[in-house]
Amino acid sequence: MASRRGVGLGAFANRSQASQSYANHGANLRSTHLSSLQAQLSVFQSLLHTFALEHSSTIKSNPSFRAEFARMCNLIGVDPLAASNVKGKNARKGTGEGASFWTQIMGGDMNDFYFEVAVRVVELCRETRSENGGLIGVQECRRRVGKGKAIGSGLEVTDDDVLRAVKSLEPLGSGFSIVRVGNKQYIQSVPKELNTDQATVLEVIQILGYVSISMLQINLKWEKARAQTVIDDLLADGLVWLDAQGEENEYWSPQNLLDDSG
Amino acid sequence: MKNNPMASIASFQFPPTYSFPPFFTPQPNATTRLSQLQKWSALIQSWCRHHRIHRLSLIDAVESPLFHNAPLRKRIPLVEARKILDWMAEGEEKGGGGRRAEWIDGGNKTVAWIWWRRPEEWAGILADWIESTGQKNVVLTVYELVEGEETMSKEWHGMDVDVMMKSLNVLVKRGKAQVFGNEGQEGVKFF
Repeated sequence: MASRRGVGLGAFANRSQASQSYANHGANLRSTHLSSLQAQLSVFQSLLHTFALEHSSTIKSNPSFRAEFARMCNLIGVDPLAASNVKGKNARKGTGEGASFWTQIMGGDMNDFYFEVAVRVVELCRETRSENGGLIGVQECRRRVGKGKAIGSGLEVTDDDVLRAVKSLEPLGSGFSIVRVGNKQYIQSVPKELNTDQATVLEVIQILGYVSISMLQINLKWEKARAQTVIDDLLADGLVWLDAQGEENEYWSPQNLLDDSG
Repeated sequence: MKNNPMASIASFQFPPTYSFPPFFTPQPNATTRLSQLQKWSALIQSWCRHHRIHRLSLIDAVESPLFHNAPLRKRIPLVEARKILDWMAEGEEKGGGGRRAEWIDGGNKTVAWIWWRRPEEWAGILADWIESTGQKNVVLTVYELVEGEETMSKEWHGMDVDVMMKSLNVLVKRGKAQVFGNEGQEGVKFF
């Protein structure tokens, strides 16, 4: 086009015509692209739908399958729990506008499942707060929820389920959050910010089982006062227990106590 | 104590808390301390229940595995054991352990009842048993109740007679039983 530059007034008309048709063509392309994407998406959704329906019992009963399914949903940007928190009762019918993805597919059972898990997590956190200062390992939590209190009340869940359940509590402003210390995740049910020193000490306890002031001084090169302050803070928050019957005071994490408090 | 506690130690399952070294040190944090006392109360009760102990002598107990974890080399000294039992003896409304212990020797605080079942609870169990075995209006001796063959499989079999009398007295107060006879040879009639 550039080489055959039109001459005279006609060129102006030509040029605007050309750009017009380019625009048209572009719009066409876009819309076919869009409709094909839409088609793909709806095909995909219906496939996901059939898949979920077909395997709904497995999804409900098999925790690792459920986790994989949830992970797949996450990867493609479908949040199974989105917009699901308010609709509880209506959602049971499964067709309500605001009903969540899970609800639409599984008729409410899935939401109920996560709420059930969430309720147990909350119960457990409350029961054990005086023992662990409101910090409970996700794994320990899962184990306890899995066991249940009464015979037959155990819920087979994965860590992922527990995390999801805690997340589903967020809209309630419950103050439940997930914190990471070292390579372990904890559910924190008491609003509190762990500072770096405290997190470090908790991490050391995770690895060694307990700490003492001199251990902190030697291994972390901390001043005695600094070590003492951190320990005192942790004690005051009930996050560690004191053993004063050794040569030097030792501070232990109560994370493994859970099994017998039920 | 009718049963020798040492005989069945192997079969008593200590909770994981028992292997947690700080469990034996009074916790400085009040909230943690409360949790600790609750755990001790539960442990003492299940220990006594397992060994069918109603009357716990602290002097003996502090040397027994209950308060002395030899492998861990941790122990609850007498003073601390008293504090735990004091807490157990307090009512729940006063922030205590719900009267699960009661000093027998008053201020000396060396022997205590451990109420893994309180006398009122025993009374209920006895009344149910009488009802279900159709022994209303039958006269039984207290000895029969405690040592008789018929109660062999029951939890109160071999129970401290004093505890039995306390439990029966609860029923007497409720008008559900009558106790008569001389001390040591009491009979009881249930209604």
